Amino acid sequence: MTSAVGRRLDSPRRSDSKVEMPGTGAPVNRPRRRRRSATVLWFSLPSIVLVGVFFVVPLVINLPLAFSNWTSYSSTITLDGWANFQSLIEQGYLFSAIRVTLVYSVIAMLVQNIVSLTLAAAMQDATRTNNFFRAVFFLPVLLSPLAAGYIWRGILDPQGPLNSVISVVIPGFDWAWLGETSTALVSVAFVDAWKWIGLTTLVYIAGLNGVPRELLEAAVIDGASPWTVFWKVVFPLLAPAFTFNIVITLIGAFNAYDVIAATTGGGPGNSTQSINILLRAQYGLGDFGTASALGLTITVLVVVAAIPLVWWLRRREV
Amino acid sequence: MRNTRDTVALRYGLLTLFAMAWVGVPIWLVIVNSFKTAGEAARLSLALPSSWAAAENYRTAIVDGDYFHALLNSLIIAVPTILVVVLVGAAAAWAFGRSTSRVMQGVFYVVTLSILIPPSLIPTIYLLRDISLQGTTFGYILVLIGTRMGILVFLATGFIRNMPVDLENAAAIDGANSIQVFVRIILPLLSPVLFVGSIILFIGVWSDFFFATFLIPSQDQHTLPLALYSFATSSVSSFRWNLVFAHVVLTSLPLLVAFVFLQKRVIGGLTEGALKG
Repeated sequence: MTSAVGRRLDSPRRSDSKVEMPGTGAPVNRPRRRRRSATVLWFSLPSIVLVGVFFVVPLVINLPLAFSNWTSYSSTITLDGWANFQSLIEQGYLFSAIRVTLVYSVIAMLVQNIVSLTLAAAMQDATRTNNFFRAVFFLPVLLSPLAAGYIWRGILDPQGPLNSVISVVIPGFDWAWLGETSTALVSVAFVDAWKWIGLTTLVYIAGLNGVPRELLEAAVIDGASPWTVFWKVVFPLLAPAFTFNIVITLIGAFNAYDVIAATTGGGPGNSTQSINILLRAQYGLGDFGTASALGLTITVLVVVAAIPLVWWLRRREV
Repeated sequence: MRNTRDTVALRYGLLTLFAMAWVGVPIWLVIVNSFKTAGEAARLSLALPSSWAAAENYRTAIVDGDYFHALLNSLIIAVPTILVVVLVGAAAAWAFGRSTSRVMQGVFYVVTLSILIPPSLIPTIYLLRDISLQGTTFGYILVLIGTRMGILVFLATGFIRNMPVDLENAAAIDGANSIQVFVRIILPLLSPVLFVGSIILFIGVWSDFFFATFLIPSQDQHTLPLALYSFATSSVSSFRWNLVFAHVVLTSLPLLVAFVFLQKRVIGGLTEGALKG
């Protein structure tokens, strides 16, 4: 494989060297060049091996394992058809976990991108004050999601600071944000968004600063309102930042685990039991095949959701 | 849009209020309650402690929460992981960035696939069992390297593609071999993007909890997130807010301290380097 790669790479290079130094020296230089560009290809080998063994191989063997009867208490592993998925559906777990994961991801993605974009617009210029605020809003990014979960478990506690503030308006307000089915999922998704907002904000700032000033000035001179300038000029030029942030936040949230483990553990009932929380529980029971089936479910969700999303968002880029 | 003095003042005023509610209150809640007695912390108020229990709380979090041991384990895992990912990833990026072959392009897509597709955890355990690395720190490090390399390769390859090839060619003509060109020319030129990449990687690896729960199950290997989790869940009867918050402070401290020193470079690097590539 590598020799084929080497040969393919060589052909354009050789014509290059002819252009650069016509006639003279070419016979001497050519063999050395060819050897060097082939050697450069070898530099990718360690990375290919490491990613191949520890990322690609598990991705591939997930398929048979998801349809196997692998458990902690059986010594042989055989293919078992759809049994893992069937048992998950019969227990009422599978679709509920998929729904929880999708709702969590969409809420986290929306909160994160709306707040980030607003903050980015407010802190766009690299002034001293803005740099200070950028650093402040970056602090939660440095916390582990688990620590963020414990912090917000305190804030959202029936006796916590959030309810204390609300009690000023509604005396005696003691809603259990994480303990009630109606608000638990929204709350944990919000915490996930809170933790990552500092990073997406920086990406949006980079995007906003990439919009040429002359374009903005021209639009203002032509009499466009700030709102029109944003939607007609800034927004389209921000598209690459949008694609990146929306896809990364959405897919990151598909793996929801840490924040939920620290706050609700999947409850109340199954209302915050994401796919990964369920996967952990099935693994704990020794049902490795079922756990693999849940892992495969996430992979399929990502492929089904991400590829059309990337394609659609990229099409809108200018 | 129009930056008159009033709108600037208004903007900074709103930013200050929002920052205080958004970041200030959560951090204050954790710190102030980590100084309180169990009974007082259970009320989760933002008021200063009426009786201070800081020394006892932090001593318990350090001793029972296995803090220094976990800190050491986190370093033992994160430092080699980042070093290998940066070196191996930069080398791969050089090869991908300078190759025009379709095969290499295809391999590049597979290597960077891990940015989008989440790694498959259970099959990874199966694989590690097969090569006798299940439950070992070394196995966990290898998995972190293999599954988190993609982002660095992606960023660095984009960087190399925009970099003129002349310098490398000149060095090669002067008789430098590929290793010398890589170490003396490629690595230094790549250093801004490698810095940004390692920041993102370090934050991710340092706070990894999900993979760690499965791959390093023994108490002996516990990293900081695992130590925090087992400390928080060790008391069945009630949630000990003061102690859990003390551990949260200790666990978050290393990255926060590092950030204080590197803050300008981190924020600058992420805003400038984020979308190139």
